[in-house]
Amino acid sequence: MSLQNLHGRVAFVFDEINFDVDQIVGVKNIKITDIEELAAAAMKSYDPEFHDKVKPGDIIVGNHNFGYGHPHYPPMRAMQHLGIAGVIAESFSPGYWRGEISMGFPQVSCPGILDLVKRWDEVEVDWEKNEVRNLTRGTSLPIEPLSFADREMLDAGGLIGYLKRPMPVS
Amino acid sequence: MGFTIAEKILARVSGKDSVRAGDEVMAKPDYVIAYDFPGYTDVYFRQMKEDFGIERVAEPDRFAIFIDHMVPATAPKEEELHIGTRTWCAENNVALYERRGIGHQVAAEVGYAVPGAFVVHFDGHISQLGTFGTLAMGIRRNLLEAFVRERISIKVPQTVRVNLTGTLQKGVMARDVFHHLVRTMGPASCRFQVLEIGGPALSQISTEGLQTITGLAMFTGAVTAIVNPDKERLDYALARARKQLEPVCSDPDASYSAVYEIDLDNLEPLVVIPPTPANSHNLSEFLGLEIHAGYLGSCASGRLDDLRIAAKILEGRQVKPGFQLNIVPTSQEIMAAAGREGLISTLVEAGAFVSSPSCDYCFGRIATMTAKQRAVSTGTLNVRGRMGSPDSEIYLCNAATVAASAIEGALADPRKYL
Repeated sequence: MSLQNLHGRVAFVFDEINFDVDQIVGVKNIKITDIEELAAAAMKSYDPEFHDKVKPGDIIVGNHNFGYGHPHYPPMRAMQHLGIAGVIAESFSPGYWRGEISMGFPQVSCPGILDLVKRWDEVEVDWEKNEVRNLTRGTSLPIEPLSFADREMLDAGGLIGYLKRPMPVS
Repeated sequence: MGFTIAEKILARVSGKDSVRAGDEVMAKPDYVIAYDFPGYTDVYFRQMKEDFGIERVAEPDRFAIFIDHMVPATAPKEEELHIGTRTWCAENNVALYERRGIGHQVAAEVGYAVPGAFVVHFDGHISQLGTFGTLAMGIRRNLLEAFVRERISIKVPQTVRVNLTGTLQKGVMARDVFHHLVRTMGPASCRFQVLEIGGPALSQISTEGLQTITGLAMFTGAVTAIVNPDKERLDYALARARKQLEPVCSDPDASYSAVYEIDLDNLEPLVVIPPTPANSHNLSEFLGLEIHAGYLGSCASGRLDDLRIAAKILEGRQVKPGFQLNIVPTSQEIMAAAGREGLISTLVEAGAFVSSPSCDYCFGRIATMTAKQRAVSTGTLNVRGRMGSPDSEIYLCNAATVAASAIEGALADPRKYL
């Protein structure tokens, strides 16, 4: 099992604590199912030119308790469609975490990340060494290791792939 | 070192003598519960067959499905969803509870809140079964795991212990206790952990009140909440329990990641300011704020305690003209009991619009507020757009405050009416 490292730029930093991810697309757009339409709505209130700046493989960074509130799936579907490869945050709200890991979308818990990176820094998440490296500044921080099941789920591309593998023995 | 109630329950369902917080285990839920909802149950039913080749669930007695959202259906598409659910339940010989009320409440009424049991749902408000010493977790889409495998993967959570002390004052309700916990401990205080509630003041909180507190646990970051059930909770749960298990309790020397002492003596009615459930304030700071609508209901309220105090406040008084007060008892059992007590007639005569049990007023389906309108609500959430326009506002509060505010058309202190 080898989970592929994340390697990209910090495309945005959400510095709000207890950030409600629904705000990424806006509550009024939360029921949109068409992915193009969703992606078009995403990030408009944070950076109207986000779509032009983001590149595949970029990641986004969040503060403590990222995903608090009543998270829905569409915002991160939209972000993935725009090329975002994962989220690194100081800490996560469990409902959000569980939901996104089950979708196969990498989430990285890294206390201190807000001091480690600035927007557009180039970073790498190393799952083997359990660290985030800021390649722009030559600094790094440890990440909280994934549980066995979360790691398997990301490796399998999400819940369905995970459940098709043999059941782990405990 | 002793064990927490959560560790004891997870040890039993993972077939081990003991487990500790941090262990990763494969656990067999005693019950797998869901309500029919597009994107969840319909997808599970399909994926079971198409992705995993499973025609029938192996042990149908472990499963229960509720139809409580989109009740009544208002479009053929919704009825089609319900038909699909009825068909699946019939084919699988799985219990279906339809139009009985909000599933998290009905689950307790019909005996799934077995003390010592492990229950999973996709919706986190199932945590309210913790009132009865049941470990009940919402695991979002991962619930599929429980449909296609006997055991689910779970990391044994740590436990945060809260000891309630002091005396709850008049007009202050369990709802206020919960929001006070969030205010005091913080919305991330119990992240990924179990919130265990105890202490000398626990016995003052009614069983219904505890259902409110434990049902909202997710807003402390907790994966669930639980109490060590006393006689009152056991009397309710054991009389209805669908199976016999030895109730378990935390050992006196159990290991907690944190212990909080929460004094109820000086607690006042609270209000949670939009747009986040993390924003609790004393109601007194916001008295007089103009309010246009009120909602008393949801899996976090709408029980007899709530209906009684609202009826007491509204008896012989009138809802302010133009104010829209919706009162929705949480289950048919509760609604019938409220009828026998005369509460329904009191509320209706005061001008309340009383509906049959449904989740629809809470989750954003009956959501008619326009921009700049404000509501007081005992619903679960005050995020933007939950009751209509993203530019309307929801102030969460206890049932008494909803009733008092309906009289005045403004945020009002219920204590003067009690």
